[in-house]
Amino acid sequence: MAADPFDSALDLLRRLNPKHTSEHLNAIISLAPDLTEDLLSSVDQPLTVKRCRQTGRDYLLCDYNRDGDSYRSPWSNQFDPPLDEGGVGGVGPGSNDGAGEGAIPNERVRKMEIKANEAFDIYRELYYEGGVSSVYLWNLDDGFAGVVLVKKSATPGTNTEGVWDSIHVFEAIERGRTTHYKLTSTVILSLSTNVEGTVGDMDLSGNMTRQVEQDLPVENDDSHIANVGRLVEDMELKMRNLLQDVYFGKAKDVVGDLRSVGSLSDGAKERETQRELIGSMKR
Amino acid sequence: MSHIETVSAFVEGAPPGELADVVADIKALTSEPNIVAELTPAFEKYNEEQFITLKLPGSSQPVLISSHNSLGGGRYYDVESSSSFEVDHASQKASAVQSHVLEGPQADLVKSTLKSLGAYVKEHFPNASLGVYPIESDSKLAIIVVANKYSPNNFWNGRWRSLYIFDPSSGSLEGSIKVDVHYYEDGNVRLLTNKPTHASIPSGTGAGIAKEIASTEKKYQEDLNKSFVSLSEGAFKGLRRQLPVTRQKIEWDRVTGYRLGQDIGGGSSKR
Repeated sequence: MAADPFDSALDLLRRLNPKHTSEHLNAIISLAPDLTEDLLSSVDQPLTVKRCRQTGRDYLLCDYNRDGDSYRSPWSNQFDPPLDEGGVGGVGPGSNDGAGEGAIPNERVRKMEIKANEAFDIYRELYYEGGVSSVYLWNLDDGFAGVVLVKKSATPGTNTEGVWDSIHVFEAIERGRTTHYKLTSTVILSLSTNVEGTVGDMDLSGNMTRQVEQDLPVENDDSHIANVGRLVEDMELKMRNLLQDVYFGKAKDVVGDLRSVGSLSDGAKERETQRELIGSMKR
Repeated sequence: MSHIETVSAFVEGAPPGELADVVADIKALTSEPNIVAELTPAFEKYNEEQFITLKLPGSSQPVLISSHNSLGGGRYYDVESSSSFEVDHASQKASAVQSHVLEGPQADLVKSTLKSLGAYVKEHFPNASLGVYPIESDSKLAIIVVANKYSPNNFWNGRWRSLYIFDPSSGSLEGSIKVDVHYYEDGNVRLLTNKPTHASIPSGTGAGIAKEIASTEKKYQEDLNKSFVSLSEGAFKGLRRQLPVTRQKIEWDRVTGYRLGQDIGGGSSKR
């Protein structure tokens, strides 16, 4: 039996160089156009920055604030370029799954969206000391959903570059005094250095995804922002540690498994001596 | 770009040890029935560039393939076993082994380099293959080291590739070292490196070549290890702090009521 093309597309994207996920995604779409919408809404790509025409502030673009070729600014709530009146955009109560349909939250959820953008702007400044953040929310039948985005680029040396993209997609299913939150977080981290004479070209790029679900008490709409804030903060701390382990621990260990800096026979001799020593102590 | 160019690029980008997985994905994504046959040139390019190793029928010693030991027509040769063999590029299988004795003006240098380099490779690579071949009408030597370690059950695979070209007339040794590591548990992380190297071997002997390669590769691995530390301490730290300056997590109940610029940095009012 043939494998499911969608699963195969995701598997392929998990194998090919993560530095070029967007190019690979476009190539897969050219092979299998039927998968376009599913892939665009489930594959995380590096975020792009746009300046809001109304407020002059930068915001981030993703599939959740897109309608056709237009993107909604979280600061002004306006699409750029503006949508045609009565065009394809605007999501009615019947179809509200957000992605690529220019979902505009209702008044209550838009109020939360404004506050969430302010809160995560503070979060971004405290943890990233720069960069750009955006939060987009949309309505669900039994609650609401959203995405928290942060992008930061750094060039600490002339030969070194780093880019961090955080994409936190969540659902908040409201059940009276508690809400069930489901968070899926992806961090796309790309680091590269080029030093002629010593290490040459070195590129460490990739993405990692983690999920968490939790029931939390809710008093009012501000509680939602605090709850999502804590979930995202805990998740980013966990993921930062994970990325550190994989990028600088695991990758280095694998290089050490391929080639040993020290001599293998010396290492074997040392282990043998150690074994004899332990053996003699046991006697 | 045509479909065949698109999928050929996927083949070319397959991580170490994952070509079969990439091909399975390609098959599921295209409806073209002859796709694997059409990909033969891409497989050949991949196998030669990645210095794929394969076992000759009846032998446990892996041999590598590259453009430098190609005899044309899908046949390659191995100096150590004095044999030539046919390669099916899609399945990476060798067959039709024949005797192939290396002759010519560089045969002695090839053998002494293989011997000296073999001792070095054994001391530093738990699992590597090497090859030394006369190229460009016996005017130069191509020297190849390739080491693979695959651990798909733990979602990682790695490859170390070195290629050096030695010119006996000038004594120059030009090369490149490439490392490729893929980690893919709940994600996709890739380390790709490329280090060009330049040296000269005045003695022009196999022992001299092996000694230079040993010291170049030792220095490179040390530089690479230092680079992991400097990326971690530099670029990575500069992107996102582990905790805010106050070293405390954010007080979200207060953030939602406050504006930027006011005192929200994680409970400093408690002091």
